[in-house]
Amino acid sequence: MSSSGSGAEASPDARFDAHRWALGLIVASAVAIGVAYGSAFLPGGTPDWAPWLFMIGTSVIMVATMAVGAARGGSIGRLWIPFTLVLVVVMGGFGTVLALPPVNPVDPDLWLGLPPRAAVVLYVIGFLPFFLVPVAYAWTFDELTLGEGDLERVRDEALRARREMPK
Amino acid sequence: MTFPGLPSLEFGLAAALVQAAELPHVVEPTIVWVAVAYFAVVTVIGAWATRRTRTAGDFFVAGKGIGLVALSLSVMSATLSGFAFIGGPGLVYSIGLGAMFIILPAALTNAMGAWVLAKRLRLMAEVRRTITLPDAIGARYRSPLAQGLAGVSILVAVIGYMATNILALGLVIDAVFGIGVGWGIWLGMGITMAYAVGGGIVAGIYTDVFQGSLMALASVLVFLFTLRAGGGLSGISETILAADPGFLGPWGHLTPIAALSFFFVFGLGSLGQPHVIHKFFMLRDPRRLRWYPLVTTLALIVAMLLYFGVGVSVKALTVQGAMDPLANPDSATPLFLINFTPLILAALVFSGVAAAIMSTVNSFMNIGAAAMMHDIPVSLGKRVENELLWGRICTVIISISAALMAQHSGMLVAFLGVFGFGLFASTLVPALAIGLNWQGATRAGAIASIASGLIVTLLFETLAFFELYSFPMGVTVAGLSLVLSILLFFGVSWVTRDSAARTLDPDIRIVMEA
Repeated sequence: MSSSGSGAEASPDARFDAHRWALGLIVASAVAIGVAYGSAFLPGGTPDWAPWLFMIGTSVIMVATMAVGAARGGSIGRLWIPFTLVLVVVMGGFGTVLALPPVNPVDPDLWLGLPPRAAVVLYVIGFLPFFLVPVAYAWTFDELTLGEGDLERVRDEALRARREMPK
Repeated sequence: MTFPGLPSLEFGLAAALVQAAELPHVVEPTIVWVAVAYFAVVTVIGAWATRRTRTAGDFFVAGKGIGLVALSLSVMSATLSGFAFIGGPGLVYSIGLGAMFIILPAALTNAMGAWVLAKRLRLMAEVRRTITLPDAIGARYRSPLAQGLAGVSILVAVIGYMATNILALGLVIDAVFGIGVGWGIWLGMGITMAYAVGGGIVAGIYTDVFQGSLMALASVLVFLFTLRAGGGLSGISETILAADPGFLGPWGHLTPIAALSFFFVFGLGSLGQPHVIHKFFMLRDPRRLRWYPLVTTLALIVAMLLYFGVGVSVKALTVQGAMDPLANPDSATPLFLINFTPLILAALVFSGVAAAIMSTVNSFMNIGAAAMMHDIPVSLGKRVENELLWGRICTVIISISAALMAQHSGMLVAFLGVFGFGLFASTLVPALAIGLNWQGATRAGAIASIASGLIVTLLFETLAFFELYSFPMGVTVAGLSLVLSILLFFGVSWVTRDSAARTLDPDIRIVMEA
């Protein structure tokens, strides 16, 4: 599976092609989700491992898709930090939810007004990534997404390329 | 939210997305006058936008001239629809926390959309005369067939989606004015069509700014009232846990796979929602994208407070006996507003609901008209002469068709609304979102994934609707179709990898490498 780079030239010292890895992870995650779905068709219902596989697959596929979009020249630069953190938050959150025991309804222990597992779902998985990815996007925009001169360069290069295209 | 004839909640996305049951009437002078004032403001914006709309570029991509706030509020409005205010809280009331998995990925999806699509689509609009998403697919793969297939998928899903939304609008208007659902459908559709035909997407964007602000404000205020009525979040939780602990379990009353499936489909699938991502073409300065995920995500989170707050608060109030258990979960929001908030706030929310639905309908009208007037003819080697005129004509045709369908097709409307989100996701996510970021993708891979999304979604949703075959508990057609479409896209692209470079024009390669 050719990655062909989604950026300009890969930096000479780039040893890790994040774009290629992210594409591979998308395929692997889609297979994992497909297997988890497929397990529901087994006689006896969904096995216990299926939600774990689905949770890993869905967390990875979303972060890997972000990485594919963010990669330039095969590299995601400093974005590996927020992407790893988001993966830890989402996958760790789902894992915690699957592993924690149900709350005692008689004398419930509440975290910020919610039972622990519900709190993890809403505050950790649902809300915490807000402080990671949109902020990381803004923070690295000039350097890793669209710098000051990028727009002009794309316009000029595309115009030149179109002139050279066979009619 | 029950639908006679639909197999079960596992029919799932239907229950989640379609509002088809009548709402309680709330005909009060304050509510009526606020609604009238709201429609008047929308009409004024529509008239102003009509004067600004002179070309097809204005009509379909707002002349590539909108700012960041307009983009963000417009994306938020188009994303939410009336579901966030009516169907969503009802779903939370019915199935508990599991319903939150529909909106749970919101903190991720806007940044994901920005990285994966926003820059590429906006730059593509710089180097080509790209006005639609199928245009972008056609340019990416140098393939009229891929463009045409994407156009057909969009048109099929748009008409279904519009019919369900127009029906929901009719129900809301009937609840406010008491004029009957039929008249509600035509009044709501008429107003939306008037500004959509005249002002195209310019009208849509600026009414969205007004509507989005209204929705966010209403959501925050109602959330505060839900906390007060339920005795704070801790009070709400303790009340519910004593009676129904599963409600506040991590998956609510869903299975883990079903809840996670919502997260997957509404997370990754957000990259294929044309009424949202089409707006990336319109941003005046692509460098303003920097703040897009932050502003849009914040607006979305604020606007969705009501979704959660009303759902859990009404559940607690019914447990306490302060409200009767709801026969129709869709009435959670109207009944809460009437009983526990000042009338003026109820009026604001009802206008907000109408606003949300109208902004979604307007976006669908625009992309549906573009598919009909532009993408499908281009795929057949034809191009219409006067795109602005034909864009307006197609908007009228699509709107009237959808309204007739909403009024006369009974349960078919619910069926049509079911597959919209999944069809968009499975046909557009691989070919567009991944394809614009992977030079190894091929024309054959794109066509295979779009065709598979179209066929698998329509086939299995139809079988489920007619109760001939349903997937096991937890498996959604939308999710499975999206997975199959992704795997086919990669698999076929790998098999035909030698053709990848040949189907990529140099200027598109530059956009992909930017």
